[in-house]
Amino acid sequence: MRTRSLGAPAPAVAFVASFLLALSLTAAKMARAAFQDTCNYARPQLTYTMTRDGGQTYTNVARYEGYQWGGGCWNNDDVDSSPNDPPQTFSRGEGADCSGLVFKTWKESEHPAAGGRYHWDKSRNVHGPYTAQAFRDGDGEPNYRVIKSYVYVMDGFASSGHVGLVFFRATSGADQIVEAKGEAYGTNMWTRSYRSDSSYDGIGRYGWTS
Amino acid sequence: MRRISYRSGLVRGRRAGSAFGALAGTALGILLGLVTIATVAAVAVGNSDAPTPDVVDGAHVPPLLTLPSEPITLRYAIVCPPPGGDLESGAPCDGSGDVYVRPGQAGRFTKLALRRGDDAREGRYFVDVPASIASSPTGFSYYAILRNNATGTSITLPAAGAAAPQLSLPLARPVSLDLPEHVFGAGRRATERVVAAPWGRRVGEAGLSGGRQVGFAGPSTFDVTADGTIVLLDQVNGRLQRWAPGARAASPVRIDVSEAIAELSVGPDGAAYVLQPAPRAGGAPELWSFGPLGNLLGRTTLSDRTWGAMRMGPEGPEVQQLPSEQWMPVRAQGRLLDPLAQTRGGRAGRTVSGGREVVVLRTGAYELRLALVGAGRILSGWRIVGATPLGEVQLAEPLGTRMVVVFKTYTEDQDEFVVLVLDGTGIVKSFSLPSAQWAEAAPLSRFRLHGTSLLQLGSTAQGMFIDRFELEERE
Repeated sequence: MRTRSLGAPAPAVAFVASFLLALSLTAAKMARAAFQDTCNYARPQLTYTMTRDGGQTYTNVARYEGYQWGGGCWNNDDVDSSPNDPPQTFSRGEGADCSGLVFKTWKESEHPAAGGRYHWDKSRNVHGPYTAQAFRDGDGEPNYRVIKSYVYVMDGFASSGHVGLVFFRATSGADQIVEAKGEAYGTNMWTRSYRSDSSYDGIGRYGWTS
Repeated sequence: MRRISYRSGLVRGRRAGSAFGALAGTALGILLGLVTIATVAAVAVGNSDAPTPDVVDGAHVPPLLTLPSEPITLRYAIVCPPPGGDLESGAPCDGSGDVYVRPGQAGRFTKLALRRGDDAREGRYFVDVPASIASSPTGFSYYAILRNNATGTSITLPAAGAAAPQLSLPLARPVSLDLPEHVFGAGRRATERVVAAPWGRRVGEAGLSGGRQVGFAGPSTFDVTADGTIVLLDQVNGRLQRWAPGARAASPVRIDVSEAIAELSVGPDGAAYVLQPAPRAGGAPELWSFGPLGNLLGRTTLSDRTWGAMRMGPEGPEVQQLPSEQWMPVRAQGRLLDPLAQTRGGRAGRTVSGGREVVVLRTGAYELRLALVGAGRILSGWRIVGATPLGEVQLAEPLGTRMVVVFKTYTEDQDEFVVLVLDGTGIVKSFSLPSAQWAEAAPLSRFRLHGTSLLQLGSTAQGMFIDRFELEERE
């Protein structure tokens, strides 16, 4: 049996060693990377169209994409790319938080005085200027409070700490609500009784088109 | 051997150019390492994106109980990618659909094409049911097929279509009740507090999640067994807690559940059925069943994307599923049912004793229709109209020859539960209860009926409780 010389490193050894070195260096870099590194900051486009069922479609894309406190971008692979983020901590993960989802679905401007409609791509990283409480207060030019029994599809309910959108009503008198609920939940659709809950108020947005 | 010869040849070749080979190997190694990691990173971080989904979602509120000569319009939302596939454009999809409807519950269906309207507030697509069908004394049954015209993809509502269509029954001679404007703050005191648990993690305490910024969530719900044992779904602490009648201490059983709000029913054999929230990575919610020691007995996936409530029926747990808007069995003949079998058992009401069903329809802002149904016809029916808006129905259950119904009533800044005990002439008993929902719980499961006792799950900043209200008690 022949034995190998111990002189200059063999190419295979160099290959493996270099590969592992590159792997570890890149892994170290990756440890500091976050989902939001894949997002963009493109300018929003003014758009004319904003239908309520178009809003339902928009929120359907966000479903299963996770929750990120203070976040506002996601993809469409039905996987939360940053699960188990620390709660109520901005960690640059995938998904919107509750008010970020409403802001983008409602095609709002980052400038509260602007009332137009702005097309935000799902991967555009933007949260918008509104908290749940701000939506509840009807802050911003396009936003207003709605009497709760007159809240319809893609109107919403907001409390001091949470906001969700009505996907549809239900025979039980509850609503199917689409919402970025929290890290333990992600973004999805659930049956909720916010309509009759005195800690929630009805909210709406001017400018829906047909 | 050929393999040894090949290796020997390779070694010879390396020796011939070892210096160059080492450099080339190093460079190639780095390059491949970077390419590999970049690929892994793209997947791990989430730079991947599925193609435009070819899915159709739908929604519909079925008119489960109708009034004489009431015009019936069926409205549907069809949700799918708009033409061109830009999911974020805000444009509606190019949808269409047909409703298949027939008088009664047998015979051929008549196909009616949905019309497309301008208003999507309650569903853009609609059809008027011909009066000849809508006024049938045996009601009418129907299902819809909703399509994305761009792709031909479709969804059927309810999910089983003709095999288990939606049923609408005429509430021909209901007991009509007009409730006066609700007076808040005059709620009844509990007969007794059967469970009180401060927030915490120890046995006898109840888990609390969330925070002041996003709101708090406590135990999802509870159920009560035939012997009166209270079973609390303390999902934040990953356990069930049981309080036997008269026992002061809780008996915990650890179960594998997420800390998100779920739903619970306990079977007569002691098995606990937990309806988990929808998984984070797509798909429908799952039902898990646990043995008395917390061991996982089985699991199944729901047919539909969303659940409303779960209750124990004579054959096992039944789940109100949406968008089908039907109560579907999830266990029968001793085994959990797969999604297809669930859809085939879909019904408008939930099954109660004697093969009867309770059908509930909250309609408009002020109205609740309620019926006890047997053999496909209404045995007793009530139409309740409030002067104050009505919210969700928490409980509707027969009590002997009577019916107990619990629903929310609300204004813009107040809310309370209303309890009515009804019979064939009207209201036998009524009282209101504070909503007591400091912490969030399952949306439609704050009450259970056990014999003549109504049990309410409530919470305060200090902890959760279950109060008992005796319905036969003289006031």
